[in-house]
Formats: sequence, structure tokens, C-alpha cells
Amino acid sequence: MLSFLSQFQHKQEMRESKDEILIGEIVFAMTRINYVAITFHAHDDRQAVTFKPKDDPMLHSLTIILDRKTGDSAIGQALMGSKATLTFQAEVKNYMADPDDLLHMYKTDLKNMFKLTIAGQIKLNHQLNSVLATKKLIIDVDDYILKGETSSKKLQETIQAMIGELREQLVPYKKAN
Amino acid sequence: MQEDMEAVYVELVQSSWKKYEEYIHNKRMDDLLIGGVIPVMVGDGYALIDLSSDGINHYLRFEQLDSRERIIFRLTNLSEELVTAKVLGRHAQVVIGYGEHTQKTQTLFETFKSEMKSAFLDTNEPGVVTVDADVTAGYIYVQVSLIFDLDSYFREGYDIDYLLLRKHIMATVQSLQKYLRGRLNA
Repeated sequence: MLSFLSQFQHKQEMRESKDEILIGEIVFAMTRINYVAITFHAHDDRQAVTFKPKDDPMLHSLTIILDRKTGDSAIGQALMGSKATLTFQAEVKNYMADPDDLLHMYKTDLKNMFKLTIAGQIKLNHQLNSVLATKKLIIDVDDYILKGETSSKKLQETIQAMIGELREQLVPYKKAN
Repeated sequence: MQEDMEAVYVELVQSSWKKYEEYIHNKRMDDLLIGGVIPVMVGDGYALIDLSSDGINHYLRFEQLDSRERIIFRLTNLSEELVTAKVLGRHAQVVIGYGEHTQKTQTLFETFKSEMKSAFLDTNEPGVVTVDADVTAGYIYVQVSLIFDLDSYFREGYDIDYLLLRKHIMATVQSLQKYLRGRLNA
């Protein structure tokens, strides 16, 4: 094979490409709400895309991870559908340089540093200059793809609801820079 | 005195963040290009059916599910180093392929055999249209290599000119489609 065609796996049936189709739809949906895709990690059953919000002064990034659980075989698809987990992880980053501010933050946030706390179904992970809020959804991939406007709308609504929930949890952790 | 020194330190950290962001932004150009191409194609009614990478080249495959037309991309950042990007500008090699499904792939493969054996096929020279077939899936492709000036599409602050990117991609796809159909009907 002279060209790069051999780089593509031979996916005989459309069910084998459902993850990618959903990732494509997610990237498109995010573009519509002014999020730019900045990193991609693609594996056979797990894909992660990180987005940068263009108009949100609070959120630093949002990562969406698609982890396929069932449906990679015809039997699995027939029995259980195309179940997957969709993980949303929003990040707030605090750019602080002043030693006084850093000291203050360290004292007030010490109890949370490197700890995982749970707020509802949202996990909060405090790192040095970042706070990450994570929530997982179990979805049927078929509900979000290949149904025209219906699936696009459902995906858009799910994404916006998740961003809203995560954002709300992170508001208290954003320091003025 | 101590406050003055602290102010100097704060300035140093802030300028470091700025430089760091510049390096990171340049390193992310591959991903930004992938992230630019996907919404352009999905917005035009193509489904992303393949996404992979060997670390240097990034491969995307889209399909128009009604017509079964496929568009394939190989994206390679040519200016990963910030110095190169600053001196020459940010460029990427973009190979775009257009494919149609056919029951007669083997026959068509024979038709294009001479072209496939051509010594020119291995070149990355822009504008050279090459032919290839995915016999297993029953697709015949034509493809062309181009060099995209990334500064035209990607501006500071993650501002992307999707319209221009779409115009350039679709102009290429249309030309490849015309060439393939012309060859098939010749």
C-alpha cells in the first residue's frame, strides 16, 4: 500500500466506529459553544479530548473521556447495546505568583490539598494550582449518534448540563488573578 | 525593599507563564489542527469513523453515511519547534484523500496500476494526485499532499477561522472528486 490507507483499521461494520462518530459529534457540539479542542488521546476503546473554553474566564479546561464498555462485538451489541461511560472533568487553575497570596491559599486550602472529596456525584480533586471536578455518566452511544437533529440536540443538552454542574462546584475555588 | 524584590519575582513568574503558554500552544498545533478539521467535516455532514496517530502523523477518516463517500486526512505538524515556527511560520503537511465505494475495486485497481507504479507516487510534492485502493473495504481513493499555513487559521487565544479552513478543505475535496470521477468515466 503506497499511501497511508494501511494506517486505518479495517472496521467492517459501522458499530466498530461508533466511538469515533461520537467523538466527532462531541467535538462539533463543543465548537458550537465556543470550546476549542486542544488535545486528543485515542485508543481502541478509550478516547479523551481536552477542550479550552474561549469565553469562560473561570474554567481553564474541560476533558471528556469516552470509555466503551460494550458493543464492540455483534453479540455484545445485540445483548447490551453500546454502553459507555462518558467522564467530564472540568479544571479551574489559579495563577498565583505573590508569595503572600500563595501562603494564604496554602493555609486556607490545606485541608483539601491532594484530597478527593465527593459533592453529590461529583468528585473534587485539589492539586497545587488546580482544582478538578469530575462526573461520570453511563450512556448508550446509540442515543447520541446517527439520529440527526434528535441525537445532536440530546448530546448538546447533556454536555451543557454537565458543564453547568461541574462549573457550579468549582466557582468557590477560583481565585482572582 | 523586600516588597520590591517580591514584585520582581511576581513579574518573573508571570512572564514565565506567558512564555510557557507560547511553547504549549505551539506544541498543541497538531491537536488544534485535528480539532479544527473535525468540526468542519462533521458540520458538513460527514461522520468521523477513524482517529489515530503514530505520534508524528495524525490520521482521520470521515464518511458521508448516505453516499458512502470517504475523506481521509494525514496531518503532520512541520513546525513543532517554537524557533522554526517563529522564523518560518507555522506549517503543516496535510494529505487529503477522497474515496468512493465501488464493487469493482479490483478492476479499478488494475486500471490505475500504471499510475500506482509510477516513480512519482512516493513523493510528498504538493499537488501530485495519486491513486490508491482499499480493496478490503471496496474503496478507490485519490489523494493530494498540501502544505497549510496554520497562521491563516489559528490565531492567538485559540481563535480559529473555521470558514477559511472549510473553504480550503472543501475546495480540495471537490477537485479530487472531479479528478476521480473523470478518471473512472474515462
